[in-house]
Amino acid sequence: MKTDLPPEAYAAALASFPHMSIHRLGALLRHHQPHEAYAIAAGEHPPAGLIGRVLADPDVCAAWRRAGRSSLLDDVWDRCTRLGLQVLLHGAADYPQLLLDDPLPPPVVFAEGDLSLLDGRRAGIVGTRNATAAGRDTATTLGRQLADADVHVVSGLARGIDGCAHRGALQTCGAGRPIAVVASGHDVVYPREHRVLWAAVAECGLLLSECAPGTAPEAYRFPMRNRVIAALSEVVIVVESRQQGGSLITVNEAIERNVPLMAVPGGVHNRAATGTNQLIRDGAGVVVDVTDVLIALAMDHRRSSGALNDPRPRPSGADLAIYETCAGEPRTIDGLALACSLSLVDAAMAVARLEHSGWIQQSDGWFEAVGSPLR
Amino acid sequence: MLAAVRSATLLGVEGRPVTVEVHVSTGLPGFQIVGLPDEACRESRDRVRAAVMSSGLPWPSCRMTVNLAPSNQRKGGSGLDLAIAVGLLIANGEVPPDSVADLGFIGELGLDGSLRAVAGVAPMVGALSDLTPVVARASFREARAVSPGSVRVAAFLREIIDALTGVSPWPDEPDDDFVDDEPPIPDLSDVRGQALARTALEVAAAGGHHLLLVGPPGAGKTMLAQRLTGLLPPLTPALALEATMVHSAAGVRLPSVGMIRRAPFRAPHHSSSMVSLVGGGTSNLRPGEISLAHGGVLFLDELGEFSPMVLDGLRQPLEEGVIRVARARASATLPARFLLVAATNPCPCGGGPPGACDCDDGARLRYLRRLSGPLLDRFDLRVGVARPGVDDLLQSGGGESTAAAAARVSTARSAAVELRGMLNSEIPASHLDILAPLQPAARSMLRNELERERLTGRGYHRIRRVSRTIADLDGDMSAVVAEQHVALALQLRVRLRVSVREQVA
Repeated sequence: MKTDLPPEAYAAALASFPHMSIHRLGALLRHHQPHEAYAIAAGEHPPAGLIGRVLADPDVCAAWRRAGRSSLLDDVWDRCTRLGLQVLLHGAADYPQLLLDDPLPPPVVFAEGDLSLLDGRRAGIVGTRNATAAGRDTATTLGRQLADADVHVVSGLARGIDGCAHRGALQTCGAGRPIAVVASGHDVVYPREHRVLWAAVAECGLLLSECAPGTAPEAYRFPMRNRVIAALSEVVIVVESRQQGGSLITVNEAIERNVPLMAVPGGVHNRAATGTNQLIRDGAGVVVDVTDVLIALAMDHRRSSGALNDPRPRPSGADLAIYETCAGEPRTIDGLALACSLSLVDAAMAVARLEHSGWIQQSDGWFEAVGSPLR
Repeated sequence: MLAAVRSATLLGVEGRPVTVEVHVSTGLPGFQIVGLPDEACRESRDRVRAAVMSSGLPWPSCRMTVNLAPSNQRKGGSGLDLAIAVGLLIANGEVPPDSVADLGFIGELGLDGSLRAVAGVAPMVGALSDLTPVVARASFREARAVSPGSVRVAAFLREIIDALTGVSPWPDEPDDDFVDDEPPIPDLSDVRGQALARTALEVAAAGGHHLLLVGPPGAGKTMLAQRLTGLLPPLTPALALEATMVHSAAGVRLPSVGMIRRAPFRAPHHSSSMVSLVGGGTSNLRPGEISLAHGGVLFLDELGEFSPMVLDGLRQPLEEGVIRVARARASATLPARFLLVAATNPCPCGGGPPGACDCDDGARLRYLRRLSGPLLDRFDLRVGVARPGVDDLLQSGGGESTAAAAARVSTARSAAVELRGMLNSEIPASHLDILAPLQPAARSMLRNELERERLTGRGYHRIRRVSRTIADLDGDMSAVVAEQHVALALQLRVRLRVSVREQVA
């Protein structure tokens, strides 16, 4: 066994063992120094307790021995140093205080970026990957306005709401930054179309993962990732969620950790909002704009009401009628023309003006009201 | 003794004159056909022998050789049966040789001596324009449509022999009872609501713009597509003749008037093979669905389910208006100028209003990627079709009728051809500023769309052509394209939600 490697290298290698769960890794590292734990897992020292029972499984035993004999130890550490990752061990001095007393604390955290962000105010924004245009817009705006109010935005860098929240936080020069918790190694970007966003978060904010570099985004890792999002947030805001969405896992984790829950209400016919509306019915706080979040965080919200000086030109006449119809429920151009008793051409002109000034947005032929509502 | 009889064979949609030479001599009795006959053609030996004997005529026990000249061309089909039988009877001295001097024989024989119709009578008769065609009774209308002079018809070989030998006169031509037996085109007034899609049909018909209908199942995409042919003007005489040739060559039933006069509508299933769609086959290069849609509408429902290779095969004909099918032995150019209408769901689950779709972005992207690329670029019009609302369905009166819309289409179409010499979809990008100039307000609207990346460079040109057509339909044939025309054109090009949008960080 080499002696020139730091203890973090052994922990990082253990995290990338096959069949290694959070519970097993936790058990290994709780009772042993990392290099001892590594030797036990690799079969060089006799195991005891829970690990003994795990190693009684011949599959796990063989896989761990194989991993122990391979060059995994050097490879993983190599990647960590090359990526400039900080490897934080549970109980070490630099381990985030927030996670220390968690019911299921991550045994090892890989971090890239500014760890001091965890000492600031933090709000989690989660929601469906398959969001409507209006939902994306809400998430982006909330992310931006929270960052403007010096609140860091915690989310998961997934498609849809997550990505939009981070993107919003990056759009401003406020002190709030994005904090992302991902379910794969730092060098395995998932989803791939978020390459640029992923790099920007690591650069300007904080990118955390429980997975060692090189780890693939397997499905079972996402619920575990959601628990870390809940643990790092002072309040969790659900922007859009279906009846059984992955964001409801984050909700349950937040409840377990006594993190206040808030949700953005949606139209009663919008299936993408059934989960959030249910949360509100069950007692979650209502988020209509950023002020609601700042109040929940007991922060100064006197400057936050950006809607008062909305730069968009106020619609009037036919445009106003069209906007208000969209604001009620997404409509097609046919539906708008019918509802507002306009000809198709007049409706087309009105939506062109409204889209230009940013009041509505079209996708797949449906128009949705976006941005803060007209007051 | 030697005899020569004129007939024709089919290659693609063209008839090729063939001279059937028959030589009868002493020697071992036998019957041989040379001159590159295909399987169906070689089998005519047995049909001809049975038909001649069933007609009560003697079958000579001599050595008989049939040559199909020019002998370097492959000949397919059974249409040469009649000519071979007549040639044999002349060579045997049953029929005087000069009686067939100005006749061309096309038809298949039954074993009982009856005469049957074959595919492609119209182009074959067209190839024998200097002769009087003799065809089966069932082929009369096809032959009539292309033959300037008279047409001889018969139901049995015996009737022809009797006429040639002067025993009895030629059988009477069937009555020209030109009853329009074509099924009526479904009317637009059946469609409830769907104002945007109706406009799209009208624009597609007026400007020759290819149309993609995007919407969930049950939104009425097929119903709309079927009503498009009603908006197209009747075929011009030249186009009607081409369409008739294609239908005849493919063996598709022609209307009782003999000519295709109405724009055809073809809707091949998505399991269709490449050859069935673009044409081909081993011997006579049968026209495919795109040629059958010549002058009309080709409707591809569930576009994403077609094999990508088949769809790629559509690109060249869409560009050139013809399809060149080449095989080792022969090649043919088939007409294929059609209006392409395709329908697709926006995603695997069918989609619907925002929030209704349960597919994740990956699945959506994979679904759309099947259609994306060069083919998707060919559609000038991309229209979202939503399921009609309850109010629309319960509405008592339907919308405007086909006739009213067709009148506008016809005016706009003829004006376009008169003023610009082409349909609006064919205006080259370089001529857009001359033929479809924009008002300043319209220009700034388009600039805005381009700046916000809601429109690509290619989409920009397509929008301009479509706005031209909308302006034409509005009655401003020569005027500048105005803001409201562009606004409507933008609605006729729906933006599809895919995760690519998320790339903009």
